Amino acid sequence: MDNNNNSPSQGSSFIGKHRLAAIISQQNQQIQIIQEELDQLETLGESSLVCQQLISSVESRKDAMLPVTKGPADGGWDRWFQRANQSSSRNRKHWI
Amino acid sequence: MSTVAELKERHIAATETLNSLRERLKERRLQLLDTDVASYARAQGKTPVSFGPTDLVCCRILQGHTGKVYSLDWTPEKNRIVSASQDGRLIVWNALTSQKTHAIKLPCAWVMTCAFSPNGQSVACGGLDSMCSIFNLSTPLDKDSNLPVSRTLSGHKGYVSSCQYVPDNDSHLITGSGDQTCGLWDITTGLRTSVFGGEFQSGHTADVLSVSINGSNTRMFVSGSCDATARLWDTRVASRAVRTFYGHEGDVNSVKFFPDGNRFGTGSDDGTCRLFDIRTGHQLQVYPPHQQNGDNNTPNPNVTSIAFSISGRLLFASYSNGDCFVWDTLLAEVVLNLGTLQNSHEARVSCLGLAADGSALCTGSWDTSLKIWAFGGHRTVI
Repeated sequence: MDNNNNSPSQGSSFIGKHRLAAIISQQNQQIQIIQEELDQLETLGESSLVCQQLISSVESRKDAMLPVTKGPADGGWDRWFQRANQSSSRNRKHWI
Repeated sequence: MSTVAELKERHIAATETLNSLRERLKERRLQLLDTDVASYARAQGKTPVSFGPTDLVCCRILQGHTGKVYSLDWTPEKNRIVSASQDGRLIVWNALTSQKTHAIKLPCAWVMTCAFSPNGQSVACGGLDSMCSIFNLSTPLDKDSNLPVSRTLSGHKGYVSSCQYVPDNDSHLITGSGDQTCGLWDITTGLRTSVFGGEFQSGHTADVLSVSINGSNTRMFVSGSCDATARLWDTRVASRAVRTFYGHEGDVNSVKFFPDGNRFGTGSDDGTCRLFDIRTGHQLQVYPPHQQNGDNNTPNPNVTSIAFSISGRLLFASYSNGDCFVWDTLLAEVVLNLGTLQNSHEARVSCLGLAADGSALCTGSWDTSLKIWAFGGHRTVI
């Protein structure tokens, strides 16, 4: 890359300046993002509020993997234990 | 234009500002964590889920791979699974009958991830070739009896660690990559619609290992990375993450959205799983390493994969030492270890996933098999 002063050190610092400027620009963006988040935290509630929502959400849903669950149960939940679909090895006849 | 010396000074100043702001953020967040989920639930008198010894049973064993299983995904219509293995193949299974419906020899054997399309007609996979390959399952086989690739998604500059179709959208896919970015792809054109992160963007600063799309709001997805963070993204805004979640002290290997779409879980090399709230950014719960034999000298095993049961009450987590814990999410207690049950895997579980109706869990292992687990005990419906 040529510029008006053609010494090698000038050439390498020219590329270095642009990269450094880009890094600083990215850092400024990150500073802004963190500042916004800090501002949000001023009005954010504590975690206890969220915990209640979480518990309500979990307890309102039915779940086939639980021993005790909200209903109604889905008839298909127990299809994994029905033998009808297993291979028909019992029907295979062996001829000697 | 400023001199290099001036720029270097500004860079140092900006670095200091960033570090002190991050500290302040961490402290302020800690002040707002007046409780975690387990303390709150215990105070309400909740008791842990109680499983009898034969309640969760292995009801199918899917054998056919000749190498470690690395990834699996269920179809939305209940019974089929696609799995990816070190043997360089994808296998499509009917989990109910244990039959293989497709065995796909991959153009690149080093596969790391696979996914089923929402309509169940296609599968996607990705790996060390830095590309995502799409296979349409009803395409006729080629002259070598192989299923041909129907679309290749290229653009990533590093391995594809994770991929997931956007729910209810057979033409869009999200990927996570070793090049530190995530991608949103239009499969019909093969083009990448958006890049999330990347050089000089506010994205991950190390490899992305896992992605999970919000089932309740498919414009949001979360990514987990070797930079020890998880990031929440809005697909309409690729230039910066909506929020970055700190807390883990090692690679975040697995991320999964919570069923209600307002939280997500993570699993990490630091041996813990965590639950984060997306609206507030709070870290709601830590699921710590569980030393069952009381040995404090061995390093914590890594969490390799996580999944939630359909209500979110259970968190399934697999570890590098072969354990596969079932956590009560609300009380932060391990209620079962699938790694010690009858018919458990003989090597680490690398991936797990719930069937769409939540009735079964599939685990994929380095022992080359997949196993299906379901609740076979007495169920009380209230």
